[in-house]
Amino acid sequence: MVEFNDVSVTYSSGVDALNHVTLKINDGDFAFVVGSSGAGKSTLIKLILKEIDATEGTVTVNGFNLKKLKRRKIPNLRRTLGIVFQDFRLIPTMTVYENVAFVLRVIDAPKKYIRSRVPYVISLVGLAHKAKAYPEELSGGEQQRVALARALVNDPQLIIADEPTGNIDPALSYEIVELLKGINECGTTILMVTHEHDIVRHFGGRIININAGSIAFDETIGGANEAE
Amino acid sequence: MKLSSINYLVGKGISSVWKNKMMSFASFCIMLVSLLMVGISVLASININKIISGIEGKNEVIVIVKDGTSDEAITALESSIKEIKNVDTVSFYSREEAWKSMIDDMSKEEKELFQYAEGDNPLPDTYKVSVKDIEKMADTTNRMSTLEGVESVKASNEFADVLISIRNIFSVIALAVIVALIIVCLVIISNTTRTSVFARRKEINIMKYVGATNKFIKIPFQIEGTIVGLIAAVAAFVLTMFVYRGAANLIQDNYQILTILGVDSLYSFRDIIIPVGIAYLVAGAVIGAIGTTISTSKYVKV
Repeated sequence: MVEFNDVSVTYSSGVDALNHVTLKINDGDFAFVVGSSGAGKSTLIKLILKEIDATEGTVTVNGFNLKKLKRRKIPNLRRTLGIVFQDFRLIPTMTVYENVAFVLRVIDAPKKYIRSRVPYVISLVGLAHKAKAYPEELSGGEQQRVALARALVNDPQLIIADEPTGNIDPALSYEIVELLKGINECGTTILMVTHEHDIVRHFGGRIININAGSIAFDETIGGANEAE
Repeated sequence: MKLSSINYLVGKGISSVWKNKMMSFASFCIMLVSLLMVGISVLASININKIISGIEGKNEVIVIVKDGTSDEAITALESSIKEIKNVDTVSFYSREEAWKSMIDDMSKEEKELFQYAEGDNPLPDTYKVSVKDIEKMADTTNRMSTLEGVESVKASNEFADVLISIRNIFSVIALAVIVALIIVCLVIISNTTRTSVFARRKEINIMKYVGATNKFIKIPFQIEGTIVGLIAAVAAFVLTMFVYRGAANLIQDNYQILTILGVDSLYSFRDIIIPVGIAYLVAGAVIGAIGTTISTSKYVKV
């Protein structure tokens, strides 16, 4: 669960990135965060990851009060999250298997669990046959699916997808969102930041529109795919 | 941390040395040069100290025994001299030996002139005393001059003072040079490894996002730095061995003055092989680990 309570962020340059935002994303939700560049979407993500601190208000993520969370405890917060970036951010020197297994190694998971969990998650995103490939040998869509597998492997409570379709072909974009929807149906909360209105219209669901640091719109709409 | 995680991190550190071989080679070269500079400075310093100690050892004190002192009293005086803490060796030089030595050094004409005067030998019995610590020379000579049967004590306190000054100045300069070299080495090495860490900053960034602790991120880098440091240490040790042996032979063959000064030889490499080897390995490992710790800290902060 993510809860923003009257949160404002002012950067040292004096720019007000968020103004008194109050927002609640419940467990099991699938929410699109939309808005133009500079609206405050990235600031929202940075707050959830505790890359930055709120100037005012409180942010709670998966039971962690981020205002009170000490620096050395930040890894504990991030282990409850799965993150998918627009530019994939896979480790180029590691194979698909290693990239995914790495997350479990970080959390000191037993070897036996790693050996069974990683192939399972890689097969969920349809890349079992590419487990030994390196990121540079994969297409953009495949790399993003590896990133999804990596976000999913430690069974996080919340997956944050920051423009996950920004660097891939439109046709493949729908596949990625379908995968995210599938993950969400298994109970994982998904927060997907995007500026692709076609995708939002197609899938529907909860739409949070941020404009000039404030929430301009927060409603649930029906998707075009539901109408089909 | 579980044993399997430690194994994984150590494995990552080892494989990184090879995966980032260009950076590893750059770090290796810098560390090799740094270790050689420090190592050779230290070896030069301990050998110069040995030479100074040799010269100090030659600075003997002459204790002149009172004329007419009985043989028992002369023997007792030797024991009394040996009881003084700073005394190293004591050797008796009888007036007869002194006379013979003096005659031996004379020309033929002088010998003829003096050969009939032996019965009137004016030379005194003496003790030649060497001291352990030249800095306590004045105190030691004062104590010896108060002993029963001592006529006087002859010691070159001025020469001792000069030697003490030379040794002190040399020690300060050597220490300053070595400390400065170590600092320069650490700065250069941390900058070299920083380049290596900078090249992998994206990797570190990803590790942070998936919840890796600072320790988990740093350990492979530190192991990598330590391994490169150890390899550089072995290379520096081998190079030092050849350079040292060559230089020591050259000096001993060409500078007989070392023998005159009381230094039979410089330290042979065989005598110092173990401490030098251990010092290089420890220095290589520590400098490698510290260098990478300094350079990773900037990128690891969550």
